[in-house]
Amino acid sequence: MGLGLLASRALRSSRLLTSPSPRFSFLRPIVSTPELQNPEAAQAQPEAPPPADLPKRAPVAGARVHFTNPEDAIEVFVDGYPVKIPKGFTVLQACEVAGVDIPRFCYHSRLSIAGNCRMCLVEVEKSPKPVASCAMPALPGMKIKTDTPIAKKAREGVMEFLLMNHPLDCPICDQGGECDLQDQSMAFGSDRGRFTEMKRSVVDKNLGPLVKTVMTRCIQCTRCVRFATEVAGVQDLGMLGRGSGEEIGTYVEKLMTSELSGNVIDICPVGALTSKPFAFKARNWELKGTESIDVTDAVGSNIRIDSRGPEIMRILPRLNEDINEEWISDKTRFFYDGLKRQRLNDPMIRGSDGRFKAVSWRDALAVIAEVIHQVKPEEIVGVAGKLSDAESMMVLKDFLNRMGSNNVWCEGNGMHPNADLRSGYLLNSGISGLEKADAFLLVGTQPRVEAAMVNARIRKTVRATEAKVGYIGPPTDLNYDHQHLGTTTQTLKEIAENRHPFCSTLSNAKNPSIIVGAGIFERGDKDAIFAAIETIAKNCKAIRPDWNGLNVLLLNAAQAAALDLGLVPESQNCIESAKFLYLMGADDVSLEKLPSDAFVVYQGHHGDRGVYRANVILPASAFTEKEGTYENTEGCAQQTLPAVPTVGDARDDWKIIRALSEVAGARLPYDTVSGVRSRIRVVAPNLLRVDEREAATFSSSLVKPEIKQEMSSEPFGSAVENFYMTDSITRASKIMAQCSAMLLKK
Amino acid sequence: MSFTLRSVKVAPNSASLEEARIRVFDFFRSACRSIPTIMDIYNLDDVVTPSQLRASIASQIRKNCHITNPKVIDMLLFKGIEELNNVVEHAKQRHHIIGQYVVGSGGLVQDVGTKDQANSNFLKNFYETNYF
Repeated sequence: MGLGLLASRALRSSRLLTSPSPRFSFLRPIVSTPELQNPEAAQAQPEAPPPADLPKRAPVAGARVHFTNPEDAIEVFVDGYPVKIPKGFTVLQACEVAGVDIPRFCYHSRLSIAGNCRMCLVEVEKSPKPVASCAMPALPGMKIKTDTPIAKKAREGVMEFLLMNHPLDCPICDQGGECDLQDQSMAFGSDRGRFTEMKRSVVDKNLGPLVKTVMTRCIQCTRCVRFATEVAGVQDLGMLGRGSGEEIGTYVEKLMTSELSGNVIDICPVGALTSKPFAFKARNWELKGTESIDVTDAVGSNIRIDSRGPEIMRILPRLNEDINEEWISDKTRFFYDGLKRQRLNDPMIRGSDGRFKAVSWRDALAVIAEVIHQVKPEEIVGVAGKLSDAESMMVLKDFLNRMGSNNVWCEGNGMHPNADLRSGYLLNSGISGLEKADAFLLVGTQPRVEAAMVNARIRKTVRATEAKVGYIGPPTDLNYDHQHLGTTTQTLKEIAENRHPFCSTLSNAKNPSIIVGAGIFERGDKDAIFAAIETIAKNCKAIRPDWNGLNVLLLNAAQAAALDLGLVPESQNCIESAKFLYLMGADDVSLEKLPSDAFVVYQGHHGDRGVYRANVILPASAFTEKEGTYENTEGCAQQTLPAVPTVGDARDDWKIIRALSEVAGARLPYDTVSGVRSRIRVVAPNLLRVDEREAATFSSSLVKPEIKQEMSSEPFGSAVENFYMTDSITRASKIMAQCSAMLLKK
Repeated sequence: MSFTLRSVKVAPNSASLEEARIRVFDFFRSACRSIPTIMDIYNLDDVVTPSQLRASIASQIRKNCHITNPKVIDMLLFKGIEELNNVVEHAKQRHHIIGQYVVGSGGLVQDVGTKDQANSNFLKNFYETNYF
């Protein structure tokens, strides 16, 4: 926040101003800075000319100004410093560019301006009163003063009014230690109160299983109301009453049913909205933060995992403008308690009585190695799970290839994935690139449940530019204006043949964007559907050198990396003929057709669906416990970092397969994670360029063979049935179970 | 029985290595004599035999066989007597005895398999821990 800097500056200058006078020795005034009691006198102080050798100030948080048009630049003076800013900036933004952090409660850079907290008051020359800097546009030649007695007096007064009705419960408040009100009252508040009446109290609201409310602490900044209406797109929160009876609440007794509702916890500047699962669990200063990546969907949101000892206490978003801005979905924020339940601790072998027995790693690997030599190479099948990292998938593929089998794939990619060209499975325009689009066609995808952050981006675009959205798929609840064009491939065919009214919207659009759901990968007529979509893209000129609007929205964190690494099964019905099945965290692969005498090895961190059929269990570490590379749906490779130690006798995924390969007599040639990565460099070097988006180079329509397949009339299904429970970790989570029970009620 | 052992006073220092040696033997004998009581109060009959416990005590003593300084031996002996006192007075619980003297440092899952020398360092480390 830079508040420390501000506070120290405020302290330094107030020491200069406060001259201890014997007059006040008996009767002390309530205001801490006596000279400020008379603003006129303070204003009349001789204006010191700005010294010539002003030290250069850095903008707040490294903010950079982008001038779209150099003629639009205007110059203002902040505390005497000349600053060049583009037209349309507010006074507060100008101060940030000048390196002055203005205290604020209601202002948030990603929300609309409310201007109701009055904390950001600054003095502007020739203005009769202090102005609210967050709502005042900066004008050329404006002389802004942030450090004058008038501004300080104004802040002190605002603080006094805010604290009047704010309870003194910081010692039991979950926000304590990271509270804006706490910090700013230390920096700008008066050092004593003169309030003797009763504080008001407000009834707490029930917002559901995720957000805890203590409404007496609320200072009515309305950030949460603006977030809900503008970003999350639900009209659940609002302001009731006026004056001292003003309250935030749902108008009727109602839960907040947004997939982004957890973000109101972050934007609340006080402890009025806090995390319910985190309530009274830990203090923020005793937590260790680890910067990591979310794996519950294919977006790869940047997160910070806060842990205390071996336990994950909470998950917070990290700023990444290209992926998740500063929001994360509720699933990302609250699934972490699933990492404490249903964990696999020890290697286990199923005995003849059908019960699992804990064994040593040596025995478990020896049993598997013995079985794998008794089956034919083509009967060996491997499936990577949806949470697998690139390293372990690389090692799995190498191991099965050494055993003579090439039947390895990643669940969710279907049995005949198109891994030839990266443009065939990536979100080619990029998540932030979606903001440039002015018409969307969603085919068989419900971004709101499949990738909540991508949906938030589409909503942002629709709100900003009124882009048109057409949707083909089962009826769903998208939180922006859209046309539901149809539910079957028939509509797709009509658009491809230019017989549909939506065609004109697409062809009139400058940057049309077609988003195809990865649920289609599992369909038999996938190639025909993609051919039709490519025809549409060609008709509306969605693929140009400067814009690629043909996007595939993936579902799982492992999918993109698996296709990059070439995890494509050799035969389409290998499950039916499998005698040895290696499940690397794969829980959602259908095992009904698996022969009953097949030997199943399950390697993973949760006792989920895959374990029911397993003969041997190998415990692996979860993504919070290992360093792994994940590629998100737009082709950006990112790395997780270990935040907590592994559970029980678990090992990292790639190490298990590397050890098994040695026991089975087909030793893989790498011993370290850097060795695995140099192997990845040979196959897919883009996975090693971490935090960089590697866009697809070719566009697939140029080189594809003719498709003879016909589209079936089967309607599009929904790929995600329950937003809150999509993988083994979220299915083990109690909070996610509560959410699905309470929030998905129809 | 147990309170008779408690009344044992701290003996004066051993004058020589020989005296210390004799004291150690005395301690070993008194420990061996209390084994039936220990088996009884901690219900150890189904997990261990008296001879195994004796061997365990002997190995604890032999662990320090290289020490020749009589003062150090006296100190270790004092610690041993104290430990024996605690055990006999039922100041411990069953799992303490099992963990410390029955299972020992080997751990629950014993590596009884063939010690394959052909394994790479990776595999040897892998069997030990995840962090290497």
